[in-house]
Amino acid sequence: MSVGGLLVYHLNVNVLGRAALRVQRWQAERKAATGVSRWKGEYLAPPLKIAPRTKELVARHWLQGRYANLHRKVAWVTSGAPIELLKALDFYVLYPENHGAICGTARVAVDIATVAENAGYSRDICSYARTDIGTMLSGKTPVGKLPKPDLLLACTNICQTVLQWYRVLAHHFNVPLILVDTPFVYYDEATDHAIEFVKRQLEEAVPIAEKVAGKSLDERKLKQAARLSKLASQLWLEIMERNQHQPAPISAFDEFIQMAPIVEMRGDAVTVDFYAAMLKEVDDRIAHGISAVKNEKKRLLWDNLPIWYRLRYLAELLGEHGLALAASTYTNAWGELAPLIDPERPFESAARTYIYPILNRGTGHKLATMKRMVEAYHLDGVILHSDRSCKPYSIGQIDQRDRLIRDCGVPALLLEADHNDPRAYAEEQAANRLAAFIEMLE
Amino acid sequence: MTAHGTKGRMAQVCALGIDVGSTTVKIIGVDAEGNLAWHLLEQADPRVEDQVERLLARAATLPLSSPPLAGGTPLVATGYGRKLVRQATRSVTEITCHAKGIYRELSHGGTLVDIGGQDSKVISINSKGDVVDFSMNDKCAAGTGRFLENTARRLGVPLERLGQVALSALEEVSISSTCTVFAESEVISLIAHGIAVEPILRGLHRSLLKRVVAMIRTVGLVPPLMLSGGVVQNQAIARMLEEETSETVIVPRYPQLMGAYGAALIALEQAN
Amino acid sequence: MAALSAVPRRSEIVRTQRERGGWIAAVLPIHYPRALLRAFDILPVEVWGPPGVDVSYGAIHLQPYVCSIVRNALSFLQTGGLDVSDLIIVPHACDSLQGLGSILIDFVRPKQPILPLYLPRGRRASDLAFLADEFRSLYRRLEEITHRSPADAELMESIRREEAADELLAQLHQRRKHLPLTDIQLYRLIRAREYLPVEMFSELARAALAQVAETPRQGIPIILSGIVPEPMSLFESLSDMGGLVAADDLACCGRRLYPRGLSDDPFRHLAESLLDAPADSTRGHPIKERLEHLLQLSRTSGAKGIVFYDVKFCEPELFDLPGLRKGLQEAGLPSATIEVDINDPLSHQTLTRLEAFLEMIA
Repeated sequence: MSVGGLLVYHLNVNVLGRAALRVQRWQAERKAATGVSRWKGEYLAPPLKIAPRTKELVARHWLQGRYANLHRKVAWVTSGAPIELLKALDFYVLYPENHGAICGTARVAVDIATVAENAGYSRDICSYARTDIGTMLSGKTPVGKLPKPDLLLACTNICQTVLQWYRVLAHHFNVPLILVDTPFVYYDEATDHAIEFVKRQLEEAVPIAEKVAGKSLDERKLKQAARLSKLASQLWLEIMERNQHQPAPISAFDEFIQMAPIVEMRGDAVTVDFYAAMLKEVDDRIAHGISAVKNEKKRLLWDNLPIWYRLRYLAELLGEHGLALAASTYTNAWGELAPLIDPERPFESAARTYIYPILNRGTGHKLATMKRMVEAYHLDGVILHSDRSCKPYSIGQIDQRDRLIRDCGVPALLLEADHNDPRAYAEEQAANRLAAFIEMLE
Repeated sequence: MTAHGTKGRMAQVCALGIDVGSTTVKIIGVDAEGNLAWHLLEQADPRVEDQVERLLARAATLPLSSPPLAGGTPLVATGYGRKLVRQATRSVTEITCHAKGIYRELSHGGTLVDIGGQDSKVISINSKGDVVDFSMNDKCAAGTGRFLENTARRLGVPLERLGQVALSALEEVSISSTCTVFAESEVISLIAHGIAVEPILRGLHRSLLKRVVAMIRTVGLVPPLMLSGGVVQNQAIARMLEEETSETVIVPRYPQLMGAYGAALIALEQAN
Repeated sequence: MAALSAVPRRSEIVRTQRERGGWIAAVLPIHYPRALLRAFDILPVEVWGPPGVDVSYGAIHLQPYVCSIVRNALSFLQTGGLDVSDLIIVPHACDSLQGLGSILIDFVRPKQPILPLYLPRGRRASDLAFLADEFRSLYRRLEEITHRSPADAELMESIRREEAADELLAQLHQRRKHLPLTDIQLYRLIRAREYLPVEMFSELARAALAQVAETPRQGIPIILSGIVPEPMSLFESLSDMGGLVAADDLACCGRRLYPRGLSDDPFRHLAESLLDAPADSTRGHPIKERLEHLLQLSRTSGAKGIVFYDVKFCEPELFDLPGLRKGLQEAGLPSATIEVDINDPLSHQTLTRLEAFLEMIA
């Protein structure tokens, strides 16, 4: 890290960048104060006041990324990875899945994925991976510029695909790949030897990460990162649980967008502040009777990843019919494990925290979670997005759907699509299915 | 019946090649030097064996080489129905045959794109005429002539005018469906929303070509880019392919005959 | 081939085991500790598909983007194909098998107990320790089911028998060009390891090896890589086209050439053996290792090209392909890719692709 590099980083990120982003936020906040929404205002609540702040935070994160190679060590990690260790070693942490979602929302995913497909990557592999590999090969990205990784960290608790994907990254970038293999939990509890295995891998990851970082792990920083992680996750959980209120103050669509900090800046102090502010705004909404859908008639659960390139369409369609998407198993995943994090025993508790995400647990467990949410959030129906790219999330949905209908007595729709690739979304056919489902609710 | 010859004389046919495609059947006769001496093209008859017999009977009326070659005129079969040609001395895939034919015709290697009625292929040919790599779209109709045929039918545009109409469009509508069947639904929806035929048709061509270009990129584009196959009759294909790749597209004189030509050349080699 | 006509069929073997009152375990792909099961006198019978089942049954529980190996296994179960088995073992090789294991436990709930088995994706000391414990865990479940408790000595004895058979299997692979067998005959023999009791397999293997010829078989030599060679008519088609499988990198065959373990502790021993098996996309091996393995195979076998023969939707395979193909190309080895649904006969298009490839490398 040269002095020159440090100066360039500091100037661009902390001085100029920060100022520019802050100005943008003020402008956005002023505009938001007028209450004008880009999304159908007659059915939906005005945008969250915190939105410009989210944008600023996220933009700042990517701005840091743009110059990160000059000044810091960079790690690319999977969304379920135990990042507290990396935070404590001052890595710039980047989430290719999150970048993929940004590409999906910005409607540039196909363009970028095509680069990967032309290089021989099949259309049958995960669309996040294809987007990321496309960026890896071409450098194309809507966020400016992605820093090259010095280290890769893949945790199999969300799927095995990430390991395959990160092997490709490791091959291309020729950097170390830390694997945290979390054995799948088929039954109610993980076995002792599985938890021991994860704990051991976390401990063994330390020297590898230290070597790349060029410094030793400071126990206090690790505990601090775990503490901040826990705090932010708890706040996020509280925010989501506020939606048990009828009418729901925010929608799962809001959650899909506002989850960015908990995913990509978990372990940072700003993230805690952010969600504290958001919780306050949500409580404010409840106090003033503001609901995500102005005329809430029915409430729904969303299972699986969002359809990133159709958020607005779905929000407006459902909103028009008074249907509030009050909860989702996807956003819930980033909050429900908060109680397991123990900042005083970071490795022990991390072994459990990282083995128990919903995607690492059986299909029966996911069904039980969905049933619990239908109950707790007073839900009238479920949309199960059968995401072609995400087998761990999608396999089991057919049976889950049948049992939700039978046992909870609510209509449940299986919607075939893909979270990031619009070519796998059949417009007319999807619209038909949604229309039929909506009729069932009315 | 088309006979070629130099100095007004009907050339002697020394070897035959037959390409039994799913849409058309082509038969070619070459002379001792491997020049194109005779050819016939017909729509494919489901009763393949009868059709082949008929075509061979026609070939038998040609001035075949004299003295006649031992074992009769050598015949190599290629194409979808090649295994059904009992009379063939050998069957060789369309990949090898197309490469052979185009190399002989144009005298250089490069990247050959062949878009047929039901499949499409990209073949990388080196400077010696050998096949070094190839890619085939044989899984679904979306990268083939059938895609245009089906979707254009919905627009009420006759097959012969597809290219012309597509090129006349000043704008273009993007078709997102990957599946031919779903693309039809999409087209109907667009028409219902009042979109004009020309931009839709141009968009359909774009879809087809994007798939073709993906195959080209998989194999790796080594110029020059060459085009063959029945769909070449559609003028928009070559033009838009040039746009997509920024390469000049070379089309041989008889784009539909390259497979049969290659087969005939192989038959000739075997005889010598 | 006198020895070959004697390869007993799966149904015969299953019936014999039933008649003698023995246990049968249906085992899904890919890796599992065979010796451990045999020590309990459980006959493992592997389920690779099979092809030719009514797949509408699988579709009741599984979306269309799940591979045909998994879909067929479920369909086979639902149509009574696994009724003869006393237990079903579901190793964890990928997300689809994970999902299958889970829905069998939670929703399908067949009469047989389902025993999932997690295979770690690294080759570190921690992976070894975990896998040994996972096998101990499996032992305990088998104890509960069978009310038997084979001692360490019995386990080691069973391990030695299986290792001896694996030695013979390795020789079949190495000497394949000199065996007077067509590819389809060879693979019927190799794949008999999926269900034949080890004593019977060893006898057949020895008989085949005794017939090693001086002159090698002729044909355009290729390496066949992928998960499983189904439909088996592939070998006949390849032979018709003048091709010869000089070596294989199939998860079902070549990637299961397990080396001997080292430890005196049977569970650790089994874990060592499995973790040291050849590079496999489903076990987390870096692409570079897979590439080196393929290049080594091509050197020793003289193969002129590699055919990647994969089941559609197989993500572990699909992710590795571009990197592998590029590396192979740089080393002067052409490759072709084929994707199949194991339930369908090989399409005209697939056969043309294979034929064109052979023509290209000949």
